[in-house]
Amino acid sequence: MREIHVYDMIVVGGGPGGYTAALYAARASLDTLVLEKLSAGGQMALTEEIDNYPGFEDGIDGFTLAEKMQQQAERFGAKSEYAQVERMNLTTVPKVLETSEGTFYGRTVVLATGANPRELGLDNETALTGRGVAYCAACDGMRYKGKTVVVVGGGNSAAADAMLLSRIAQKVILVHRRDTLRATKVYHEPLIQAENIEFRWNSVVTELLHEDKLTGVKLKDVHTGEETLLPCDGVFISVGRKPDTELVQGQLNLDHSGYIIADETTKTNLPGVYAVGDVRTKPLRQVVTAVADGATAVHMAEEFLAGGK
Amino acid sequence: MAAINMNKKQFQQMINGDKPVLVDFWAPWCGYCRRIGPAYEKIAEEYGEQLVAAKINIDEEAQLAQEAQVEVIPTLILYKNGKVVDSVVNPGSKAAIDQFIQEALKK
Repeated sequence: MREIHVYDMIVVGGGPGGYTAALYAARASLDTLVLEKLSAGGQMALTEEIDNYPGFEDGIDGFTLAEKMQQQAERFGAKSEYAQVERMNLTTVPKVLETSEGTFYGRTVVLATGANPRELGLDNETALTGRGVAYCAACDGMRYKGKTVVVVGGGNSAAADAMLLSRIAQKVILVHRRDTLRATKVYHEPLIQAENIEFRWNSVVTELLHEDKLTGVKLKDVHTGEETLLPCDGVFISVGRKPDTELVQGQLNLDHSGYIIADETTKTNLPGVYAVGDVRTKPLRQVVTAVADGATAVHMAEEFLAGGK
Repeated sequence: MAAINMNKKQFQQMINGDKPVLVDFWAPWCGYCRRIGPAYEKIAEEYGEQLVAAKINIDEEAQLAQEAQVEVIPTLILYKNGKVVDSVVNPGSKAAIDQFIQEALKK
């Protein structure tokens, strides 16, 4: 048989959960590789300032924090590849990951692929991101101080975003395709009470109007089909998140939203396969909870490696 | 070789040279641009034989960006013999940049 290099651990995804797993694994002398398709950090890399990760009293930008986590893991011997994973076989021994940079083999696999905000799928949506189109009110809200913003969505995150933005922006317009919010009742009263929040029920955004930046949105009434133009400085899209789990469908147990089912041990239904960070079922998706998962996964993987190679 | 930061004069000399030139139009305040940065350096190393990998800061070279009709960043443009061959906006992975280059070089 051809000699192949088998890593003790392959981490898929270089966000905070992934690089913490790599750090713990490298410090435990495991031969560790991180596969990242673009650059360290994941969603965190696009966060301008992180103020809820302890130890940085003046805040730190997400991109820099990600680079630090990567360098820290690499200092102890973890390796990184800029590779897009195309196929995984998690049931074989060793586990096989086919990527844009070749095939890699691992005794254990940590899935840290994260989640991405769900997009509306409109023309120029990606191109206008950061130029009026935003997905995180807590991250980008401050840019719209005194301005007019639209929030799209009707769930808890849309309601929370609208509340938060109402304290920053001059005017907030909540656009929802139904005639009532799906958000839990506790949100309804404060939203209705807020003087600067307006509602556009039964409406969907059909077009992003722009010059070099967003200038407004086109709305369509879902019942009458009537279209209206709504000038605004920003649109916050809060229609949920989508975990990056397409490649493991059929191999791992996923919940109805596509998250990998794993409790705080990070163990999945397959031995030697762990899910960390936003991609697993959990109540709070934050940098601090992702890094905790990374450490736990290595603890479990060490038990697995010691037990049954 | 690392990606070269270019000004207008260097750009005009380069794109009329023998090698194709890949340009990353970016700005320091652009989060998606920063995210491409490390992979772009790797690209500059890997394709050093075949092309010149350059970066143009659109804040410093506003006129160049305007002439290139770059409306949003990050945008990568590949030039051959002084002409635009193809462009891509905000590629989502290093693999996507590889694919863009390989297809554009064939054109």
